Amino acid sequence: MLKELYLVPAAVYIFSYALLLFKEKKTYKAFISIIYTGFVLQTLIFFIFLIIKGLTLPVHIDRFVFFNAWILMFIVVLFSLFYKVEYILLYITPLVAINLLVGFFVPHIHLRPVILNVDKAILFTHILLILIGDSLFALAFIVSLIYIFQERKIKNKKNLKLFDKKDVQISTALHQGGGYNLELLDNINYQCLKIGFPFITVGIIMGIYLSGTLFKTFIIIKPIEIISLITWLIYAVLLHERMAKGMRGKRAAIFSVAGFLLILFSLSFSFYLFPAFHGLK
Amino acid sequence: MDILIIGLNHKSAEICDRETVSKKLLTVELRHDFANKLLDLKNEDGRSLIKEVAILTTCNRSEFIMGLSSWAQGKGGHIIKNYIAKYFFSETEKENIFYMRLNEDAVRHLFSVASSLDSMIIGEPQILGQLKEAYNEACEFKTSGQFLNKLFHRAFNCAKSVRTETKIASSPVSVSYAAVELSRKIFNGLDEKKVLLLGAGEMGKLTVKHFIKYGVRNIYIANRTKKNALKFIEESFGTAEKDCLNVIDFSEYYKFLPQSDIVLCSTGSEDYVLKYADIIPVIKIRKQKPLFLIDISMPRNIDPEINKISNVYLFDIDDIGKMIEDNIEIRRQEAAAANELVESSVKEFMNWKESLNAVPVIISLRNKVKDILEIELYKYIGDKKEKDLIINSLTNKILHEPTMLIKRASANPEGVSSIETIKALFNLESTDLSDTDKDIENENPGKYIKLIK
Repeated sequence: MLKELYLVPAAVYIFSYALLLFKEKKTYKAFISIIYTGFVLQTLIFFIFLIIKGLTLPVHIDRFVFFNAWILMFIVVLFSLFYKVEYILLYITPLVAINLLVGFFVPHIHLRPVILNVDKAILFTHILLILIGDSLFALAFIVSLIYIFQERKIKNKKNLKLFDKKDVQISTALHQGGGYNLELLDNINYQCLKIGFPFITVGIIMGIYLSGTLFKTFIIIKPIEIISLITWLIYAVLLHERMAKGMRGKRAAIFSVAGFLLILFSLSFSFYLFPAFHGLK
Repeated sequence: MDILIIGLNHKSAEICDRETVSKKLLTVELRHDFANKLLDLKNEDGRSLIKEVAILTTCNRSEFIMGLSSWAQGKGGHIIKNYIAKYFFSETEKENIFYMRLNEDAVRHLFSVASSLDSMIIGEPQILGQLKEAYNEACEFKTSGQFLNKLFHRAFNCAKSVRTETKIASSPVSVSYAAVELSRKIFNGLDEKKVLLLGAGEMGKLTVKHFIKYGVRNIYIANRTKKNALKFIEESFGTAEKDCLNVIDFSEYYKFLPQSDIVLCSTGSEDYVLKYADIIPVIKIRKQKPLFLIDISMPRNIDPEINKISNVYLFDIDDIGKMIEDNIEIRRQEAAAANELVESSVKEFMNWKESLNAVPVIISLRNKVKDILEIELYKYIGDKKEKDLIINSLTNKILHEPTMLIKRASANPEGVSSIETIKALFNLESTDLSDTDKDIENENPGKYIKLIK
């Protein structure tokens, strides 16, 4: 089963949050180290599965959820190191921990794609691309939420503490430099969009191809395709507006939030309401 | 002479009210005119109420520091306050936004202001310069006299000792620092950012210095008089700092707006320099890149409506002040020590002031002794050259202890009886002291002040 292994990084992440209660510079530093330790453990577990099962499709729901959590954490760690914004770990790690707990508690159900005859490589690539794209959009979603709240604070000039002791401690501990700054948050959001969009585009195209193969026709439009295309369109418009017209700031953040909410909706829609449309029995 | 301070500041009045007062005192001429009006103010009997006046105007306060005539006691203060309120506002209830400090309270208030203990940002250095400017203006207008001279100089000394003996100014909490911190909340690093400074004032100078310290390398300065801007750079910045500064024509500042990320406005203009309609096209040209506007001028120079534009962040002097308020606590701790210094300076000044009451008694006593000596010496040495020298020397020697006693007694409310005893002992009651009083107040106060030093 090996499901119990999921609890190890999940427990590490949850424990790390307990440290934040102390509100000390040292504990903030320890918090970050523990989060990274959690990620290393998650990676180890991932490789254990890889060694045991080989490079195969995550055919069980719990594995799928675990794989999703690992990719999300991997992307967030990369961004936090590259942009020196370790504070995003503060917001993403709970999502990852929840994912791991879900992975532990869901039954070890075998997903039986009805498209076993279809090229497994395409299906695997479809899943991988969509997960990477969605993880990037999840990060963009979180960063956009931070942006919206932070921008609101600055615009309304309320609860905006310039020299908040706590903020200074977090700032020093998490190497934030200037702390939460709108330009950086907007930039991360843009990068997530720029990198995530091609992944999601190719992923959706592969999905449509797989769906066509599954239903033996490309003519019938399935609900999952409609929702996916709407989501894709939102991100396409956002990318176009950003690149061509220089849209940025709050409006771009709202778009990102809306896009990701639609992704969540389409995922729930496809997996829980109409599993058949997603090639699941 | 009584000291009266009437004024309004960031604690007593809203920004719009301060703006109204500030507008009517904006230029040197307006201040001179109002100072004269105050000096001409008379009571019901037609006597002038104010003898000396100095006007202090900063972005956070407007104050009238006055030396009153002896007959201005009682209702005088209220008459003046009423007059000032009516001069600036048509609504009668606005009188409440003005505070009034008399004598010891006034001295304490002025010393606290000078020491930056009453500032929006405790310990900020600008206020002392502004107070010196107010004093210089009063000297130029010839509206200040010996009394205010002394008061201001003591205030400057007090401020100096507060700054050197406490750490009140050591922690970086100032409008300029806050401006830089705020830009760091909007921008990711300031190295590549461009700053446009409109107006060349003290606050602008400090903020620009802070921006340079935090890595800004492109700063454009636009002042109505280009010559003044060049002089401002020459006098206020070091060689390395000058490399980051460029002076542009004020008429062309709008051309630099689209490429500027931070605009700092501190002109002396009465109207808005940047209006809502000016910024809309700018933000379009900037492709929605954030624009940070800081308005540190009073009256405000940037239309507050601009803050409603997306990706534009406007902070005026009040906004910055409110944010910093929470963090003043650190300086407040230092302020406790600073207040002790202020208190001792106030006490010293009040002693000096009270000792002025003793001057007529000392003078009559000296005159009396001198008269006696003159008569007696004449009998023995006639009208010899040395006579005056001997008289002065003897007078000083004989009266040294009694003079000290009178000074101490006059500084102490319980010492009135001692002065009365001296008066009785030397029969000074019959002496007409009013002439001496008049002499002190109007003609040559310095002569008598030397006596009590």
